[in-house]
Amino acid sequence: MSTEPNALCFGQEFPASGAPSLVYVEAHGLTVTFVSDTSGRRSEVASFSDLTVLAGGQDHDQLVLKWTGAQGERTIYLKNPDMIRAFRQAAPDHMADPLERAVERVRQVRHRRRMVWSAVGGVALAFMLGLWFGADLLVELAVARIPVEWEQKLGQSAYKDFLAQQEIMKEGLTVSAVDEMTHRLTAQIPDNPYKFEVTVVKSDVVNAFALPGGYIVVFTGLMKKAGNGEEVAGVMSHELNHVLQRHGLERIVKQLGLVAVVSIILGDQQGLVSLARQLGVELLTLKFSRAQETEADLTGLQLLYRAKIDPSGMISFFQRLSEKDEGRMEWFSTHPMSQGRAERLKAELVAMPKLAPVPFTFEWAKVRESLGVQPAPVP
Amino acid sequence: MKGEILYPGAFPMVRIELAAGEHIKAESGAMVASSPTIDIESKMEGGFLGALSRKLLTGEKFFFQTLRASRGPGEVLLAPTVPGEIVIMELDGVNEYLVQKDGFLAGAESVSIESKMQSLSRGLMGGEGFFILRISGKGMLILNSFGAIHKIELKPDQEYIVDNSHLVAWSATTSYNIEKAASGWVASFTSGEGFVCRFRGPGVVYIQSRNPGSFGNWIRQFIPVSE
Repeated sequence: MSTEPNALCFGQEFPASGAPSLVYVEAHGLTVTFVSDTSGRRSEVASFSDLTVLAGGQDHDQLVLKWTGAQGERTIYLKNPDMIRAFRQAAPDHMADPLERAVERVRQVRHRRRMVWSAVGGVALAFMLGLWFGADLLVELAVARIPVEWEQKLGQSAYKDFLAQQEIMKEGLTVSAVDEMTHRLTAQIPDNPYKFEVTVVKSDVVNAFALPGGYIVVFTGLMKKAGNGEEVAGVMSHELNHVLQRHGLERIVKQLGLVAVVSIILGDQQGLVSLARQLGVELLTLKFSRAQETEADLTGLQLLYRAKIDPSGMISFFQRLSEKDEGRMEWFSTHPMSQGRAERLKAELVAMPKLAPVPFTFEWAKVRESLGVQPAPVP
Repeated sequence: MKGEILYPGAFPMVRIELAAGEHIKAESGAMVASSPTIDIESKMEGGFLGALSRKLLTGEKFFFQTLRASRGPGEVLLAPTVPGEIVIMELDGVNEYLVQKDGFLAGAESVSIESKMQSLSRGLMGGEGFFILRISGKGMLILNSFGAIHKIELKPDQEYIVDNSHLVAWSATTSYNIEKAASGWVASFTSGEGFVCRFRGPGVVYIQSRNPGSFGNWIRQFIPVSE
């Protein structure tokens, strides 16, 4: 049999940390042998009838046995599960009740702790889920707090950096046509906090993009591709609405948010600073989410409608781009196209009251000619 | 293995003599000096996951250092980070201690250390956080405190009240409840104590004479704010 102590015995003459002892459970009760070095080995006996049973210790998971013997009061703490089991098996019937109560107490403590922690876990999980699904709401709240001036500064620096490397069209038919579209559209924006700036860039890239703060770039490639002015106005209306809905800012806050959390966790504040510096570059490669595209489509359509520009231009341009033989185009990659998108706009348009569109003052064929496109039969 | 406390008081060190082949594990960074016969190894106590949980949960160091007298007998000098006393205890195999996370300095290899989650009320208000160390086994255990260390001995059913952030270590045979320091909520906080722990014996409770959190708050007012 093992001679390693398996219990702690407390009593008046023992140290406060308890005397290591060896407890045997026998038919009549307990034999407790003290194995302390100083007093040598000696044993005490306690019969079952003298014992009081309790649960004790830090987690109420130890079996506490108390009795008053010839040597005074004794308290034994048993924590070894095998010992506790042996004791329960050997204990006479009259102890069944107190033992059961002690066991019940342990169960209660464990149960309560499990309940509390699962409640805490549930709350934490709910919080995380809320954060996960409510992230968009949080981003919107954060974006709403950013003043337009900041947004303009942010967009302006990226806009200037971009334009510095491009060939800009300053005047001519194309520029005046784009200006006319801009005026027609922006005149219909109520309480417009932005001063829109639209630049035409000489490039065969079929694209147009908007930066936060109202900076819009239209490439001549897009204008060459368009069948009429209304198509270009459709794209511009879409881009204007990215600005008005502050989509760019939402993306930035989202991206910053994730990186900010990661850098704070990693204790890398430096990374956060350099990230903010990189922002100018990031702006140009910013991709909008599908939901944002849809929103810009719908609000863009409504803006065209208010400006009395034929909204079917927007739809026909989308369809033109989604035709297979048009191949891959820039606008395509930043504005994921789908047939569903055009279909949705069509449905939206049907639901709107009939519009008597006011045509533009310029002749589209001449604008295209000025861009070097040979006059072709109008589609 | 023999341990001796040098310069008892605020800035003590502990000298541990190791026979050839003996080793001791210590908190990472605790070694001050050693004989050339001692090799330092770094070890993740309780395996990778155990170490990770200890690091993440208790804020204790991920690695313990193992100081091994592999090339003959020698001695090592160990010291804690904070000013305060050191206490050397001998675990007998049945005694088990719960130690707040900064209290462990070193222990014999046969001493086992594991993280233990406290109940919600103790974790929130006990002042030691949600996770503490449960130290059991047989052999030498060295604890350190912030300030002087004081031992309270409790007989069965004897009670004692300790301010929650002064705890260092306590026997597993004790139990404690968190309660308000005074009978009313307002008085509890205006008295500056807030919550206290009502310990109930039998067992031993080690407390420290200074409260690290309060000291941190006090010293903060002298730190110049950097731009």
